[in-house]
Amino acid sequence: MFFAGLDIGSTITKVVIKNEKKICATVIKPTGAEHRRLAHKVMEDALSKAGVPFEDVDYIIATGYGRINVPFADRQVTEITCHMRGVNWLFPAVKTIIDIGGQDSKGIKVENGKLVNFIMNDKCAAGTGRFLEIIAGVLGVKLEEIGELSLKSTRPSDISNMCTVFAEQEALLRLSEGTPVEDILAGIHKANASRIHSMVKKIKIEPEVAITGGGAKNRGLCKALEEKVGFPVVVPPEPLITGALGAALIAGEQIAKIDKEELQERQKKRRLEAVTFFDDESTKAR
Amino acid sequence: MSGAKSTGLARAAELYSVRGQRARELKQEGKKIFGYFCCYPPIEIMTALDIVPVRILGNMDEPITIADGYLPPVMCVFCRSAFDIGMKKSYDYFDGFVGAHACDGAERTALIWTNYIKTPCNFHLDIPHTAHNSAVDFFKQQIAYFQQAVEKFIGQKISPEALKDAVARHNRQRALVRDLYDLRKPDPPLISGSEMLQVLIALMCIPVEEGNVLLEEVIQEVRERPNVQAKKSRLLIWGSLIDNTAFTDLIESSGLNIVVEDTAIGTRPFWHDIEETQDPLDGIAEHYLKEVLCPRTFRDSGPSYQEDSEMRFGYLKEFAKYWKVDGVFANIIRNCDVHGYEVPVIKDYFAGLGLPVLVIEQDYSTAALETLRTRFQAFAETIG
Repeated sequence: MFFAGLDIGSTITKVVIKNEKKICATVIKPTGAEHRRLAHKVMEDALSKAGVPFEDVDYIIATGYGRINVPFADRQVTEITCHMRGVNWLFPAVKTIIDIGGQDSKGIKVENGKLVNFIMNDKCAAGTGRFLEIIAGVLGVKLEEIGELSLKSTRPSDISNMCTVFAEQEALLRLSEGTPVEDILAGIHKANASRIHSMVKKIKIEPEVAITGGGAKNRGLCKALEEKVGFPVVVPPEPLITGALGAALIAGEQIAKIDKEELQERQKKRRLEAVTFFDDESTKAR
Repeated sequence: MSGAKSTGLARAAELYSVRGQRARELKQEGKKIFGYFCCYPPIEIMTALDIVPVRILGNMDEPITIADGYLPPVMCVFCRSAFDIGMKKSYDYFDGFVGAHACDGAERTALIWTNYIKTPCNFHLDIPHTAHNSAVDFFKQQIAYFQQAVEKFIGQKISPEALKDAVARHNRQRALVRDLYDLRKPDPPLISGSEMLQVLIALMCIPVEEGNVLLEEVIQEVRERPNVQAKKSRLLIWGSLIDNTAFTDLIESSGLNIVVEDTAIGTRPFWHDIEETQDPLDGIAEHYLKEVLCPRTFRDSGPSYQEDSEMRFGYLKEFAKYWKVDGVFANIIRNCDVHGYEVPVIKDYFAGLGLPVLVIEQDYSTAALETLRTRFQAFAETIG
């Protein structure tokens, strides 16, 4: 039996194909403006990587903000529940998850493998990957390098403003004052961590804590968050896939709840294609 | 209305979607129409003079473009929206405007309203912020002033009998609304949150007798039709009002059934009858000040935090029990201070009842709704 989870995030699309024993394949690709047309392509990649024909997949769950655009999914589950399941499978002792995505950040509480509380910021770029992207651009450093660079700082500069636009101005101001880039970056990471921490604190941060999402790939941010939290945090080996992994795990559970005939019926109807409820021409990104 | 008259839920949906239409028709027939803010002005006074009271609401579909030149953005966005559509002539059929010192937002909006939106008759109702007996006496006097002002405008006195009759008709409406709420007790409920909202808003745009006929039709229809609702987790809404079905549709398509709402378009205006007192104004003043439970009024408190919460929110425990509530959505319209300030205590209180609470501060805009879907779905997954 095979089951799949697709996590269509604002920035990156992730697919996990699993069987009862192990992860068979994972795919991580940029989402892009055309994701409504491309979810099935990413799925195809994952299937060929796993060597599994589409017809053999028994249950598919879509998650992430693009979850409604996966016509071949059997069910949609929010990324909050999916991250929780994925992390719980990897680290059963984790009680608090901090997910730092491209356009939002979330705090998720787990108790005995169940989602008990969550909080999210999706109205403001502060505390999200987007914020780091913008700052990296301003400072002329590659996004994947800002974390490491910030760790070299000996005197993190003060960044007081957490509005992305104004923080950008502050970073420019520090540059013009001759502050080393690593110090500005350390300050930015501290400020970002502090913003995320104060949001997640509202649902009580209890050990163990895991960090997931693209933000978890930034060592500088993880270190700044760890300092705020006050104890070590865990980061999954591939922090981007916990949502898709959780979706695949839930898909596995769903199969047990459905009888064989209905499962076959579903499989027959399933088509690996793009969503059709959009007018293809007028909704195409230009 | 157009030729073949619809009835029941279909009629409610019509009245909901074209809110001023029935009032405009009645105005053509010579009736006087009064707009009023929030659920504190005693509509019985208006009914007693054959005036049609119309509740002033905002419009979540309409971007605020004019009001921001008059009202600051720190003010509750619902109030700004109401004023904005007022400036855009949504309420140009009013013969009277009744502002009220309900909350600070409503008060400032009412004052600006009378300055820029010209209505033949204007009244500002002073509502005390406590519910002690001396406050009730004061409020009764304010209602008497209100009555005098309206009588003067219409050129006719309200007889005690006419006022008692108006109270009886509105009490009948309150009882019918409560009957309708009873039909949400089964699981799944017999009527959806969106249908309920259409009915309640319809009631606030038409004369009380028409409202009572509508309610009787709706109750019969809902009782007799096959139950169309799906079984989902049962949600209580507490907080700022919701006046657009786009919002309730979003919630109910995210794995939740709305079963009871403690808001200014939910239970609050309807939950208690006005007592029939010798002087009708005594019953009216008592009712509005003591029984319409918006946190804009400071209520008698107990000697400890726990007892204080119990005295103020005990009724919510009853709602949770009888409507078999699984979770609570605390709806805060951005900058609605009276509800926003209550969030910590309301969360504590529901936590004590073992009920999870989802708090969302939202922008009172249908354009900004979709981003809330993940929160409602995740909340449904938490309590499901």
